[in-house]
Amino acid sequence: MQLKRKFETGEFAILAEMEPPKGVDVSTMVTNARRVKGNVDAFVVPEMSNAVMRMSSLGGAVILQKEGMEAVSQLNCRDRNRIAIQADLLAAYGCGITSVMAVTGEEPGYGDHHQARSVYDIDLLELLRATQALQEGKDMAGIELAGAPRFLVGSTVDAGAKGKSPELVIEEMNQKVDAGATFFVTPPLFDLAAIQPFIQRVDLGKIKIIPTVLLLKSLGMARYIQRNVEHVDIPDALLKRIQKSPDKVRECLRIASEMAKTLQQEGFGGVLLATIGWEHKLPEIIERM
Amino acid sequence: MIVADRKPVEEIIEEVKDHDKILILGCNECVTVCEAGGKKEVAVLASVLRMHFLNQGQTVRIDERTLQRQCDHEYLEEVRDIIDQYNAVVSLACGVGVQFMAEKYHATPVYPGVNTVFMGVTEERGLWTERCQGCGECILARTGGICPISRCAKRVLNGPCGGSTKGSCEIHKDVVCAWQLIVERLKALDRFDDYEKLSALKDWSTDRAGGPRKVVREDLQDESKDT
Repeated sequence: MQLKRKFETGEFAILAEMEPPKGVDVSTMVTNARRVKGNVDAFVVPEMSNAVMRMSSLGGAVILQKEGMEAVSQLNCRDRNRIAIQADLLAAYGCGITSVMAVTGEEPGYGDHHQARSVYDIDLLELLRATQALQEGKDMAGIELAGAPRFLVGSTVDAGAKGKSPELVIEEMNQKVDAGATFFVTPPLFDLAAIQPFIQRVDLGKIKIIPTVLLLKSLGMARYIQRNVEHVDIPDALLKRIQKSPDKVRECLRIASEMAKTLQQEGFGGVLLATIGWEHKLPEIIERM
Repeated sequence: MIVADRKPVEEIIEEVKDHDKILILGCNECVTVCEAGGKKEVAVLASVLRMHFLNQGQTVRIDERTLQRQCDHEYLEEVRDIIDQYNAVVSLACGVGVQFMAEKYHATPVYPGVNTVFMGVTEERGLWTERCQGCGECILARTGGICPISRCAKRVLNGPCGGSTKGSCEIHKDVVCAWQLIVERLKALDRFDDYEKLSALKDWSTDRAGGPRKVVREDLQDESKDT
């Protein structure tokens, strides 16, 4: 509820991505989350991002909430049909999850189960509409529910993505807003200028835009992203800054903190800190913010 | 063959209502065999549309043409000289033909005149049933020539699922249990021992799971370049 409250009062929300384990040993996830418990408003638990099989988002989110930490559970369209998705939304609310994020999900070819058959029974907009319908007390078949969930609903927006027209991105986002989404997570952002054309057309007070601040782990990783990840742009100046630094990890942590701080100053609704495997570094990022 | 079914005429009228020069384009292959989009169906649809527009008091030119195929460049080229005379095409080919036509004649709207349903057979005139889903990894050698992917409601590979009754599928008594057929066929082939062999985990990456598919034959491509 902390997240909802922050969104409502207009305070800057700090979200952190917390991947559940590939296995059942949740101790690392819980320990990492506990370290920043007081400083993070909610943990976004990805639903098998990059199509890599691991503990489900719902499972991870329930575990974090049991530990007294707020979690945002993700639901993708790739792995479940409309029956299972709705069932999991009900289960999530029943287990105390009040924030969900609808995502499309990457193709199985990206992940570690290349031969899997993807589902995509419903798409992202339909998933959002289904969530909206459940909140109004009806399932997708129009049948009345015994008790309706109340969620804070989020989704993704390609804001600041390289090569995407801001008009098109806004159009897509507005469709999601109509379908009930109130907050939007962007792809990793390394340059405020990249998101400016989008932001100029959005009322940040009304729609909560949550840019992803991705922690770079090395110069190699930064260069790899710059060369191979089509929609993400890392400015040359940033690459040079990491290159020149004697302590590259520390520099990368600083870059993440600075970016988060800038976003707060620019009036964004919040930030999503993504540390992909380096969740133990979250305290260092947050304390410099 | 690819089996298609006729689209409701109201839907076609809705598609073309704002056009006044319409070409109804049939296909002489699969859709002719399943009596959904051949020369005869082109004539029927053209008549219905003419009557409709006449009743509406609209002057609409509706022409008929049927190509040998709509999934090959050479046949689609046959309408290049006349395509500019029309501001809409209703293609009665399968979805493949509609798309290839649209790709070729970029500036002319091409509307589908049939619903493409499946790859199947003519059991009898007026009855077509599904046989193949194009999964990209044919397992018919193991299943006695009967496909559990296309014919079993649950696509189970080590069936039956336990829901069948007297050889009928649990979804409907008119649907034959594919695994019942497989068992009977393996027995007839004296290969019932094969039924005990567990099927390997299905690789769906050759199906649509790996995204849109293509078949590349470099030997044939090279041959074409040489000639």
